[in-house]
Amino acid sequence: MFDFSVVTNNAHLIWEGLLITLYYTVITIAAGLLIGLIVGLMQLSSSRILAFLGRIYVEFFRNIPLLVILLWVYFALPIFLGINITKGWAGFIGLSCYVASFYAEILRAGIQSIDPGQTDAATALGMSYKQRMFRVILPQALRRMIPPLAGQSIIQMKNTTLLSIITVPDLLYQASYISSFTYRPMEIYTAIGAMFLILLVPLTLLARKLEQSGMNVK
Amino acid sequence: MNSAPHGKTAPKTKTGEKRDFLRLDDICLKYGAKQVLFGVDLEVAEGEVVVLIGSSGSGKTSLLRCINLLNQPSSGSIVIDGDVLFHAEESGNGHMEIPKAEVNRIRSKTGMVFQQFNLFPHMTAIENIMEGPVTVKKQDKKQARERAEELLASMGLAEHGNKYPRQLSGGQQQRVAIARGMAMDPKVMLFDEPTSALDPELVGEVMKAMESLAETGMTMVIVTHEIGFAYEVADRVVFLDQGVIAEQGPPSEVLLHPKHPRLKSFVERFHDSADLLRPFLEAKQSEQAE
Ligand SMILES: Nc1ncnc2c1ncn2[C@@H]1O[C@H](COP(=O)(O)OP(=O)(O)OP(=O)(O)O)[C@@H](O)[C@H]1O
Ligand SMILES: [Mg+2]
Repeated sequence: MFDFSVVTNNAHLIWEGLLITLYYTVITIAAGLLIGLIVGLMQLSSSRILAFLGRIYVEFFRNIPLLVILLWVYFALPIFLGINITKGWAGFIGLSCYVASFYAEILRAGIQSIDPGQTDAATALGMSYKQRMFRVILPQALRRMIPPLAGQSIIQMKNTTLLSIITVPDLLYQASYISSFTYRPMEIYTAIGAMFLILLVPLTLLARKLEQSGMNVK
Repeated sequence: MNSAPHGKTAPKTKTGEKRDFLRLDDICLKYGAKQVLFGVDLEVAEGEVVVLIGSSGSGKTSLLRCINLLNQPSSGSIVIDGDVLFHAEESGNGHMEIPKAEVNRIRSKTGMVFQQFNLFPHMTAIENIMEGPVTVKKQDKKQARERAEELLASMGLAEHGNKYPRQLSGGQQQRVAIARGMAMDPKVMLFDEPTSALDPELVGEVMKAMESLAETGMTMVIVTHEIGFAYEVADRVVFLDQGVIAEQGPPSEVLLHPKHPRLKSFVERFHDSADLLRPFLEAKQSEQAE
């Protein structure tokens, strides 16, 4: 019943798709972490305006479906700004901004979970805000944040499949392309599903392990 | 050596041109709408050991945290080692805007020891002590480590430098915290109930460390419920009551012949249990027994 020769025959297309999927996973996680750190710190700022803007960002991107964000950035944003946005950039912007809102929340919660006495002690030594954050608070908070950050990053890898809607040739896009001329969707989509499993199950196990060791860090 | 780069000097006072070591003037503090300090004046001379006592909620912690501006008063002024750390008048006029970097610089002339130790858990004892000098004062690491080792040894913890706080007892952690404060070469050390979170058998070792610090001539402001310690070590005892200084003076007066009615009942608690000096004497005895 299964004939996996359609998969092996089109291995080069699948390989290209896999590279695109990994590429977008990595760059949007990196950009998302950077934006998330800034937005998370904004939310914790003593300036009400900054805190409010941070809050707005998070609620905005968390409460719009990712698919809508991607389509909007690709089709609507160019009209608003009167510029051209390639599908690659649209995908990058949409995915990064979306995951950043979740990272921001994780960072905010992680930083807030640190005993205020730590800030007191660092401040009493004469440390500036930046020194306090980077020397005392973030090193402790990051340890606690690793498990939820890993979890969100795994979701992010799965979310990259939405790129296929705006025709970025990721793994899913290649699969639908191959099945459109081979008429064997069953084998192709089974293979793609299996690939995600093979990639993500070890990462999930790793995240769970980190979670356990993270709990030992008080 | 007046090193204030902004040419700011203490506001004119009755004491005239005398360089103020630590002076709080008319400090008022509010948490939101709730006022907890109502115009506290406190002057501390170089080398003086001042013990703050008072019942729970009288504002001892709040006042101590004003000294290094962990709490921002609503009005009053704070001068440390001749530098104005804070100045604001009740009317809202005459507010001095002191740049953050300047606040941090003046602040690092104080060292603070907290009830809950607040050591940095991701750093070893030595790294905790080095952190201030290296990060804030940009001291050379090797030099900072040598000094940290010295301080640790003076606290009787020479072998514990590479341990993390969670591997140390409460009393050891608190002594590391004292060393961390001392590493900044502060003009004044602030202690907020440094022994309250400790098991009774560990109180003595921390009090001994503080006593020897006082003997070196360190200026100290200490909040404590250890009346025996206050009696032995303090040059002056200050009784805080409902956000004002209700009485102050040498320990023999304030603790043995209190005048203020609430101070009387406060001190009587200790007389009743004939406990005035016991914790301190016990610590001394165990030291001699060793
Ligand atoms: N962060 C805060 N926000 C609001 N109110 C506070 C805060 N900190 C202290 N207070 C209140 O201010 C008053 C003085 O508190 P403070 O902690 O200075 O007293 P204390 O003399 O140190 O008492 P204790 O002996 O219990 O430590 C109390 O009524 C307390 O409830
Ligand atoms: Mg207190």
